[in-house]
Amino acid sequence: MQQHCTKSSEPLKSLIIYIFLLIPICLYSQKKDCTCTLKGVVHDQEKHLPIVGAVLYLKGTSISTFTDAKGVYQFDKLCQGEYILVCKALSFDVTELKINLQDVHNQDIDLLNDDEHLQEVVVSSQKTSIANKTVLSGKNLEETRGQSLGEALKNISGVTTLQTGSFVQKPVINGMHSNRVIILNNGIRQEGQQWGSEHAPEIDPFVAKKLTVIKGVAGLRYGSDAIGGMVMVEPENLPDSAKIHGEINLVGFSNGLQRVGSGIIEGGLKGIQGLGWRVQGTYKRGGNVSTATYNLVNTGIQERNFSVGIGLNKIHFGTELFYSYFDTQIGVFTGSHIGNIQDLQRAISIGKPADAYTPTQYSEVIDRPNQDVSHHLLKLKTFLNSERLGKLTFVGAYQYNWRLEYDIPRGNRSLNTLNFKLDTYSAELILDHLPIAQLLNGSAGLNIQYQQNLSSSFELTKPLISTTLLPNYQTFNLGLFINERYVSHDWEGEFGLRYDLRNLEAYSLKIGGILQQNRFDFSNFSGALGAKYHHTENWESNLNFGLVWRSPSVNELFTDGIHHGSASYEKGDLNLVPEVAQNVSIGSTYRSKKLSFEINAYLKNIQNFIYLKPRIQNDTLRSVLTVRGAFPAFDYTQVDAQFWGVDLTLIYGISERLDFTSKLSFVRTKDTRNNLFMVNIPSDRIDNSLQYNFKKRNAYISFNHQFIAQQNRVEANCDFLAPPDAYNLFSIRSGLTFKHLSLGLTVSNLFNISYREYLNRFRYFTDDMGRNISIRVNYKF
Amino acid sequence: MKKSIILVAILGICFSGCKKDEPAPAQDNEFISTMKLTFTEGANKLVYSVKDLDGDGGKPPVIDVIKLLPNKTYVLTTEFLDETKSPAVNLTSEIEAESAEHLVVFESSSANLLAVTRTDKDSRNFEVGLKASAKTNAAANGTLKVTLRHQPEVGGKPTKNGTASIGSTDFEGTFTVEIK
Repeated sequence: MQQHCTKSSEPLKSLIIYIFLLIPICLYSQKKDCTCTLKGVVHDQEKHLPIVGAVLYLKGTSISTFTDAKGVYQFDKLCQGEYILVCKALSFDVTELKINLQDVHNQDIDLLNDDEHLQEVVVSSQKTSIANKTVLSGKNLEETRGQSLGEALKNISGVTTLQTGSFVQKPVINGMHSNRVIILNNGIRQEGQQWGSEHAPEIDPFVAKKLTVIKGVAGLRYGSDAIGGMVMVEPENLPDSAKIHGEINLVGFSNGLQRVGSGIIEGGLKGIQGLGWRVQGTYKRGGNVSTATYNLVNTGIQERNFSVGIGLNKIHFGTELFYSYFDTQIGVFTGSHIGNIQDLQRAISIGKPADAYTPTQYSEVIDRPNQDVSHHLLKLKTFLNSERLGKLTFVGAYQYNWRLEYDIPRGNRSLNTLNFKLDTYSAELILDHLPIAQLLNGSAGLNIQYQQNLSSSFELTKPLISTTLLPNYQTFNLGLFINERYVSHDWEGEFGLRYDLRNLEAYSLKIGGILQQNRFDFSNFSGALGAKYHHTENWESNLNFGLVWRSPSVNELFTDGIHHGSASYEKGDLNLVPEVAQNVSIGSTYRSKKLSFEINAYLKNIQNFIYLKPRIQNDTLRSVLTVRGAFPAFDYTQVDAQFWGVDLTLIYGISERLDFTSKLSFVRTKDTRNNLFMVNIPSDRIDNSLQYNFKKRNAYISFNHQFIAQQNRVEANCDFLAPPDAYNLFSIRSGLTFKHLSLGLTVSNLFNISYREYLNRFRYFTDDMGRNISIRVNYKF
Repeated sequence: MKKSIILVAILGICFSGCKKDEPAPAQDNEFISTMKLTFTEGANKLVYSVKDLDGDGGKPPVIDVIKLLPNKTYVLTTEFLDETKSPAVNLTSEIEAESAEHLVVFESSSANLLAVTRTDKDSRNFEVGLKASAKTNAAANGTLKVTLRHQPEVGGKPTKNGTASIGSTDFEGTFTVEIK
């Protein structure tokens, strides 16, 4: 036995060496006739920077090494045979790879090399953040194929959805949604009409190889307003070989006879190393959805999405162009179309919708009312690796969101109720600097965003009609941020600081044709501080603090009128000030073969929380009289809010083949200024499943039970209908893989239970979806 | 391979191109500011209305008090207007043309006060209510609620069945009624 580590004067490196001397893996054994060599460079996949001090070892042996200052590692005098190479680096995910060592394997391993090399060894890691994050990928993501983004994210503990019917689903993270959740689509902040509770994210989840939810303050790089958290929809990196690969997904659902087809083709160009391209497309079509006992008229859906990406990636520079198009038409259940509060009360009192709205015959026609939404995203990303500075990245993006919501008109006039066109231009410049004093790693940057919204209009300064929800407006945002990390053996620390400047100019038309112009300026600092401690190799804990703010959104300032969807009169307030949130979260993650758990507890105090509060005077809900009758009044008000809760995920291996998984989450909220409960907060839920894994073909079957409690933390007189009863849902999920082909069968709502979910706005009108059997086919080539 | 990219690009352009044309901006398509009730008895013509000219919110609607004589039978016609436009738009003919999708509902606080009977029928022989007869009894006070229900076809099938429960409310006004 011989010590192989070279001495180094740098303190961090010597610390690492010291650590690995303690756990004596920095040694390798020598045997006769063993002359194979395995060597390579470990790169950060995202930034293409070499990773210094990454530990590599061959599983089941005591052979190990770590990368030097250039990210290079080398194993000498290895015997022939199959090895599992494990690569570990602090604050990076562990990567395991199978290597078939036949001979002298004397070559550098580089992420950006040719396919043949990649088949041998791919050493890549993704940087992890201290923030509490949960990833949905692999099998768990496969199971959600065909579903909407919101529905897929529900598999993560602490994430629920705010629904309007079955297909309009917005992610709710720890009780917060809409403008308080940032959704990153391929690294770009999604800019649609997020404020609306019936506006689902315009994203095709088939683009994603990975869905990540970050709870709490995260990514100051992307903005300060993610008080609830952040959702990241991440595609795989572009391929780096000329070989053509692809994937076909076909999914069929029994409920609504929904069919989904999605395909990916990707490859490169021979002769141009590092050039990769990908083309992806999805088509979805379905008809009327059924509850446990009846069909719902006009609840069909159509979706046509595609994306193309092309990029050239070298070690020192790279550039990537991405375009995606999302287009959907969603029928809105006709029985939910109400004119006034009596209509709503009538709908509530009859329980089951009238026969006219529950046809026995299947239909795919998407009639009025409906939503017709399209979203374009064009993105250009370029990076440059400088040996003196680090990695410099420029990202420019353009998004165009066009939302049409057609109501039922009188006569055959082709009029729409809502027509919003939102253009967003954004640019960011980021420097991921080289370690400072061998201690601090981090980045600093600048974001600029210009946005323009037209509501039933063609020119910003010339509104044509008076709208009740959104005026024409433009915003200009400037953000500066810095984020630094310190990493030692078992401690990691991170801090971030951000400054934002926001200017908003709105142009609206009052009834009678008077043009009104308003200007708002907001600016503020946000900050985040976090620490992570690695108790053991398998166990880590984190503590995070954050101070973030969100300026009032345009609808919160300007809304003035009847919100027909909810039969209420809503009034904005031009005097709203930004809300400021203080977040504290503590989490712990443990992973072993037998037991894994992830627990996250949080407390958020939000000053001046902007909230649509029922107008209550003398203990009665006040209403506003209009020509359609009286509507209960709600005002955008500022209160002080407190949110706290716990999310827990536990996986226990009962036997080698049988796993038990339990997910639990609850959130408690209070308007502390008035000591009142808040509305639209997810109720407590627990999700248990038992999975049996077969010996062959990655086959598995799991039985799942979900208990969703009744939300009883509500104020009396604040809602038209008390929150629905608690319910139990059962489902079966299964999967099977043959080489390139994987099959899946899922039955959700197995016992065809009639239930209503508190966070589904349609709970006033109809039951939720009944039994749904889905079949998935995935073919990779 | 290049061909496949071109193909997808063409497909993409088609997808974008398949989008419907943008509808012309127009004020709320169901905007009705005024409901006008005309009670006629011989040469005696009385007009009462509910008006809200500043839209939802703002000032509450202005509602006339209906004053009728006891023990009379009036011919009652109902009109709907948008008086925020100039000149005012009369929407009654539009509703009449779509009588098979509309129903005017009259609810008096007591049957003794005012008995309203719809006298017009649509193509499927259901009552409409733009024309009606209103019979008063002894002197009394109360209210009359008049509602215009919009009951459009669903999935190409008519839904109107003569009852008020189907559809949604386009206009609603409650008058104070004095019979003396």
